[in-house]
Amino acid sequence: MKYELVSGFETHIELATKTKIFCGCTTQFGGDPNTHCCPVCIGLPGTLPVLNREVVRFAIKAGLAVHGQIAEIAKMDRKNYCYPDLSKAYQISQLYAPLIIGGYVELSSGKKIRLHHIHIEEDAGKLIHRHGDTYVDYNRGGVPLIEIVSEPDIRSIDEAREYVERLQQVMRYIGISDCKMQEGSMRCDVNISVRPEGSEEFGTRTEIKNMNSITNITKAMEYEYDRQVDLIESGGKVVQETLRYDDVTGTTSSMRSKEDAHDYRYFRDPDLVTINVPREEVEELRAEMPELPADKCRRYIDDCGIPEKDAQLLTKYRRISEYFDEACDGVKSPKTVSNFIIGQMFRRTETESDKEVFDIATTPAQLNELVKLLDSGKIRNNLAKSTLEKMLDTGKGVLEFISESDMGGVDEGALLELCKNAVESNRKAVEDFLSGKEKAIKALVGNVMKNSRGKADAMAAEAKIKELIENS
Amino acid sequence: MVTREDVENIALLSKLFVPEEELDGLTQSMQEIIDFADAINNAPAGNEGFDNINNLSNVFREDEVVPSYSNEDILKNAPEQAEDHFLVRNKE
Repeated sequence: MKYELVSGFETHIELATKTKIFCGCTTQFGGDPNTHCCPVCIGLPGTLPVLNREVVRFAIKAGLAVHGQIAEIAKMDRKNYCYPDLSKAYQISQLYAPLIIGGYVELSSGKKIRLHHIHIEEDAGKLIHRHGDTYVDYNRGGVPLIEIVSEPDIRSIDEAREYVERLQQVMRYIGISDCKMQEGSMRCDVNISVRPEGSEEFGTRTEIKNMNSITNITKAMEYEYDRQVDLIESGGKVVQETLRYDDVTGTTSSMRSKEDAHDYRYFRDPDLVTINVPREEVEELRAEMPELPADKCRRYIDDCGIPEKDAQLLTKYRRISEYFDEACDGVKSPKTVSNFIIGQMFRRTETESDKEVFDIATTPAQLNELVKLLDSGKIRNNLAKSTLEKMLDTGKGVLEFISESDMGGVDEGALLELCKNAVESNRKAVEDFLSGKEKAIKALVGNVMKNSRGKADAMAAEAKIKELIENS
Repeated sequence: MVTREDVENIALLSKLFVPEEELDGLTQSMQEIIDFADAINNAPAGNEGFDNINNLSNVFREDEVVPSYSNEDILKNAPEQAEDHFLVRNKE
């Protein structure tokens, strides 16, 4: 029997506010243990948490970015559990009245992964288990998080990967988080179940906690899918439980025993008052939102004539898309700008993190100048390419490398002379071409380009050379 | 009705050990506490829009960093500490 995978995600994202959610301690990553703390965030009795306004604003922006509905009234709740990463024995979170309701993340296939809600909450401290004891560092305790809870709409590991990538992309675009999975500023709990293909009912799900890389997410999901299918095929039953993924062995194992089953006894936090979100504030925040990657991508395809694959590459990181937008200002063919970025510039920004930073010597205005020369026919593509290399090496503008005398094309008569010269001085290439080696023509064209210092039109030269050879 | 099992479960969740001979007493105390709270719940609430006693909403801080405490001060009340951390001993 074939089995279908059913999955939903709970994604935690640390917000890039300067201070923690309920006190003025810094949210900076790292630092010596227990030095980013105060009586509020270590939960001493008698302290009063006060909500950071920016947390609400960032969460609303997150909600707008995924087409969620911004609640008019939101409240904070206590989620009770006894574990040393929370000194108060409860986490301040939201259950009954979260800030954002609904929304969706659209995949490239057009499929929408629906969201249940997004809530705000505090992060827990970090535990280090050593010599059988636990060492607690509360620097991370109280760092603001949003938790994005999806509906169980994910049906394949590819969809899961794209869902996480899309969330990461859009949250980085709007500047509310750096979403660095390796530093824990984005982490996922993955709910997963299987059911016979065609079945309407959901199977029993398990939850894999705290996944901190896309690679681990996909590996863990593959393992867990196979494990559940094997279990059912051999007549067993999936038990609802929380699992931990071990990336060394590539297996999942049970995390909590039965007596620790969830019983969070949520109730309204009496220390924190109701959040009212005036509609004017939502509109203000909406106005501050940058153009979202999906909208940009559509615009590049529809208005700029960029192929979809390239449009995806250009919009993956906000800096690249902004670079592209600036470099395109007033140019006739945005496609040329795109080709220079994806070709020559991407060769110099090899890794994903290089691309994200996109720190290159040539400014968008300099690229714009180069492309405009190309647009106006003053220089040819080959010359533009080699000049761009020099520009990228030095950070200098196009006019440092190309003088007026290099500009302007090659007229008919001059082109004919250049082609004749090429044919006469490369008999070998001509013979090769005549004996059926189509590629030999390239050597002849290359000769023309070289002698014209890149100014000749390569297509015209090729046609002219063929004509000369055929008529000789 | 609060049962002995409820008390046992709450003790477990709170990681508290409750001796067998105290269970009946605690069950009764907890029932009294719940009854007291129910009396409040049953009182007529005139105002539908009631949210909190001061009728406050939108109390916020600005996102401005204030200096944190020193490691030494933060650990002052820790029952046990080691290497600048709070230390939690894992009892068997």
